[in-house]
Amino acid sequence: MTRTVVEARNLTVSRGQTPVLSDISFEVQEGEVFALLGGNGAGKSTSLLTFLGLLEPTSGEALVFGKSVQNDIASVRGKIAYLPEAATLYPHLSAYENVDYFLSLAGIGRSRADVEEVFDRVSLQQEARDQHMERYSKGMRQKTAIALALLRETPILFLDEPTSGLDPVAIDEFNRLVTNLAKAGTTIVMVTHDVYGACQVAHKIALLRRGTLVGSFEAKNGERIDTETVHAAFAERAVA
Amino acid sequence: MSVIRNIAIDEWRYWRRSRIAISVLLTGLVLLVGSAFLTAIQMIDASHEREHLQTEAENAFLNQPERHPHRMVHYGHYAFRTPPPLSVIDPGIDAYTGNSIFLEGHRQNSAMFADRQASAGIAMFGALSPALLLQILAPLLLILMGYSAITREREARTLDQMIAQGVTSVQIMLGKGLALGGVTALLVLPLCIASVLAASEGEAVSLIAFFISGYALYLLTWCAAIVLSSTIMRTAGGSLGALLAVWVIVAMLMPRVSSTVATNIVDAPGKIETDFAVIEAVSKIGDGHNAGDPAFTALRANLLQQYNVDSVEELPINFRGVVAGAAEAELTDTLNQFAEERMRVESKQVRIARYFGWLSPVLSIREFSMKLAGVDLETHHRFLRETEKLRFDFVQSLNKAHAEKMTYLDDAGRSGDPEAEKRTRISTENWKVLEAFSFEPFPATDRVEASFNPLAKIMLWLIAILLLCRTIGRRAL
Amino acid sequence: MTATAVFSRELRFFLKQPFAIWLIIVATGLSTFSVWSGLTEVDRQSATIERLLVADAKDRAAAIEKESDFGGAAYYSFHLTFDPPSALSFAALGERDVFPWKHRIRMLALEGQIYESDAANAELAQSGQFDFAFFLSVLTPLFLIILLHDQRASEKVAGRHDLLVATAGYGQNLWRSRTIVRVSLLGVGLFLPFLVGALMSGVDTQLIALVFLVVFAQILFWTFLCLWASARPFSGPAIASGLLAFWVLTTFVMPAASDAIVERAIPAPEGGDIILAQREKVNDAWDLRKEATMEPFVAQHPEWADDAKIERPFEWKWYYAFQQVGDQAVAAMSNDRRVAVSRRNEMAGWFAFLSPSALTQRSLSHLANTDVGSALTYQHRVRNFHAELRSFYYPLLFKNAAYRAEAFESLPEYDPAMGSDR
Repeated sequence: MTRTVVEARNLTVSRGQTPVLSDISFEVQEGEVFALLGGNGAGKSTSLLTFLGLLEPTSGEALVFGKSVQNDIASVRGKIAYLPEAATLYPHLSAYENVDYFLSLAGIGRSRADVEEVFDRVSLQQEARDQHMERYSKGMRQKTAIALALLRETPILFLDEPTSGLDPVAIDEFNRLVTNLAKAGTTIVMVTHDVYGACQVAHKIALLRRGTLVGSFEAKNGERIDTETVHAAFAERAVA
Repeated sequence: MSVIRNIAIDEWRYWRRSRIAISVLLTGLVLLVGSAFLTAIQMIDASHEREHLQTEAENAFLNQPERHPHRMVHYGHYAFRTPPPLSVIDPGIDAYTGNSIFLEGHRQNSAMFADRQASAGIAMFGALSPALLLQILAPLLLILMGYSAITREREARTLDQMIAQGVTSVQIMLGKGLALGGVTALLVLPLCIASVLAASEGEAVSLIAFFISGYALYLLTWCAAIVLSSTIMRTAGGSLGALLAVWVIVAMLMPRVSSTVATNIVDAPGKIETDFAVIEAVSKIGDGHNAGDPAFTALRANLLQQYNVDSVEELPINFRGVVAGAAEAELTDTLNQFAEERMRVESKQVRIARYFGWLSPVLSIREFSMKLAGVDLETHHRFLRETEKLRFDFVQSLNKAHAEKMTYLDDAGRSGDPEAEKRTRISTENWKVLEAFSFEPFPATDRVEASFNPLAKIMLWLIAILLLCRTIGRRAL
Repeated sequence: MTATAVFSRELRFFLKQPFAIWLIIVATGLSTFSVWSGLTEVDRQSATIERLLVADAKDRAAAIEKESDFGGAAYYSFHLTFDPPSALSFAALGERDVFPWKHRIRMLALEGQIYESDAANAELAQSGQFDFAFFLSVLTPLFLIILLHDQRASEKVAGRHDLLVATAGYGQNLWRSRTIVRVSLLGVGLFLPFLVGALMSGVDTQLIALVFLVVFAQILFWTFLCLWASARPFSGPAIASGLLAFWVLTTFVMPAASDAIVERAIPAPEGGDIILAQREKVNDAWDLRKEATMEPFVAQHPEWADDAKIERPFEWKWYYAFQQVGDQAVAAMSNDRRVAVSRRNEMAGWFAFLSPSALTQRSLSHLANTDVGSALTYQHRVRNFHAELRSFYYPLLFKNAAYRAEAFESLPEYDPAMGSDR
């Protein structure tokens, strides 16, 4: 019944001469939340960019729905909504205009009502939605970017440090959102250095250190992954 | 003080490690040195060539055989404008005006053979003289090196660090300014070397020093503007954009806009057109070749009364020569009026164009440079006036000989009588009336005085920018 | 998504950036100013020619009326020759502020007259005119550099680059459509004023199309260069610096260096030498035997061999013969100079391929007939006209025709379009 949606096969990626990812393998099933956990410079963002076709693997393969990303970049990108780290949209446009513009880049049109609904889901203040984004706080910008990712309605979501800049209440809301999306069948890959956040939502966690996988954890029997175990492993293996 | 120096030294270290900065600076220096070298060779060549042609023309005149003096009036003479010493740096309008002029009786010719008329017509900004490079390209070079002087620190957050260490905003700006000032010194260096050449050609050393200081002041004005821009703009891109916009406006647009506006405000009819009026005015004077022209009746009566004789044949002097002299004097008077009017209109146009110097330091430094070097329009006008004086003097000396060295009867009968014709030929000694001509620009003190005005405009810009640095700049940091 | 939808999206996006709009407005304003400045200059030139034509005819009639022999009439009557500005010349005033485009000549030795220049104010000529050709060749690249250099770098700095590319599917499509929108807005902004000016001055469609091609080529070149540069992995200011350096080298340095090289490679006889030699020859004639003048004259004009005997100390036919002999004596030098100027021009044409700006400038002034070649053509027409004048007067002078005013009815008139297909 489950099928593999995102898969890394002996993936190696270099920037210049230095390898950023070496020989990484993992699988993410449909409706799963997968978290790549690691410190600074572990290669977390690099792996996302490789799946988006923004970086080319030097060896190995990045597969989405069983197809190599390199073969059909455009169709892969059409299946993935991407939330970059500390996402900034256009400051001279309002949240509506930004969302509108980026959606049309992806060739999608959404009604105002749909957009309103998603803005409500990420609880972006009503009165801010028509203001230029240069006045937004970091959290509001992040909420808008999350809304944009949700509006894409893609089968896969890539989230890069999604909770950075969000206040604790918003983080809770966001985590609920992610869990619900996964339940509805969306496959979610997130990278983070936040052990607690990852353990809250992820079905699988992989520990990354200087481009290599140094551990993996899986939730069993519908329970959450144990934060203490991961934290201990993180402190022991993942900190450079 | 040491803080400022350290900031400057740090900036230099950054440049040393930046490939872009190094290549920009090197390209600029190579261009400057190359153009200083080539321009010097070219202008010194031109100077020697024209001096040589001048001597040749004088010798040709002096070596003419015995003949009727009026023939020499028509034989004429050439005057050449030798370029002044500082033209090795700023050739000014030398290539745009004729540099030789043919001097003959009854006519004022225009200067002929501007170099540009034989050029391939591909250079859009004229030849790359050191002056042009320093006026237009040096500011661009300074911009490329300095646009991010402070924005870079801000973007890298090192600015906060510096301020946290107790460095004041004034110290930061002065330090960056000092670093750019060092580049300015490097750029002015080739100018100093070329100036040695100008000094050896006889230019006053104090004037040269003033000339170089003017350029240094101009470039420092740009340095100040660059520091200001990199202080008040948030990003390096913004600073570069703002500085480039300013550069395009003051260095690319203003010069052409000023000349377009000047031609549109003051209409300067061409020589051909004014010549119609000249012909009309001159036709009232009477033909100096024809002693019987009614225009000279009064002159004849006066002379007859003065010498107490009844006919021109009895006069002790040759009436035909007197007429030639009188007609030339009157004609020259009229021609000079037109020439002065023409020069007045040209000066008026140029004055309007120069008002734009208030808006563009590039125009001010150009005016300053051309005035000091003696290669501006006024100097060309001086050349025209001096050559006119040379022309009038030798023509009138020949006319005097015409009046005094032969009899009226011989002169009047010479086309029918070969013997009389022989007697109207006067000795070659008389050709020595020609004065040796060597064109000199205005005296150094006059030139320095004339250049105060454009220098004041540059100073004003510098002061305005420094004030802005003190107010807006300090607040922005 | 259809292409129109893409472009209308990017257009709407672009129009929300105040900076970009200002840039387009400024470019349009400058283009308009350049066209206006060109039009007024051409108007001034045409008006000058109109006034000169009237004054010239009046002056010549008056001069001829005073005379009672053909020799005197030839001596005192001047003839206006001119090179009228073409309809397109408003867009490229070209070399007309340096090379003369009007002369008043008479039967005397031509070499003494043709180098006179009725030049404009030298100090203003040094600055140059602000015409459309200048705007297109020198300033347009700067606008393109500002518009295009950091379209990727700025998105990278702002942290939007990856999101944009990942969302758009193909990054190339996005950059391409953004570029096309920006460049075509700029193109319209700068071409429209020209189009209005061209229609006002009646430039024919074919020529407008050719100018459009030049505009298109210039914009295309710089667009591709900027696109290439903006795809390099450098910061925005670094890319801008590089492009600017290229602009300086190709717009300033290359043309000036080419000029210097061309001038050294192809020496031209000094104009002063020509005129000095010619002057000596003409003056010497007064002291020489009449035959010394008439023999070389007849050698070139054998048809007057039977009428070349000079009996009196002064005869007009001898006077004009030595004028002509003066010209003949320097014909080779004068020809060398023309050939040299023309070869310099040709060689400069090759050098222009090293500088897109120079190439644009030259193409436009070529189309507008305001280039060095046109100046030489005009000089050639003046020479032809002088020859016509001589062949009008020679029969009257050499055959000692009795003076009759009606003869002037067939006096040649200068035709500015002589031997051309304009």
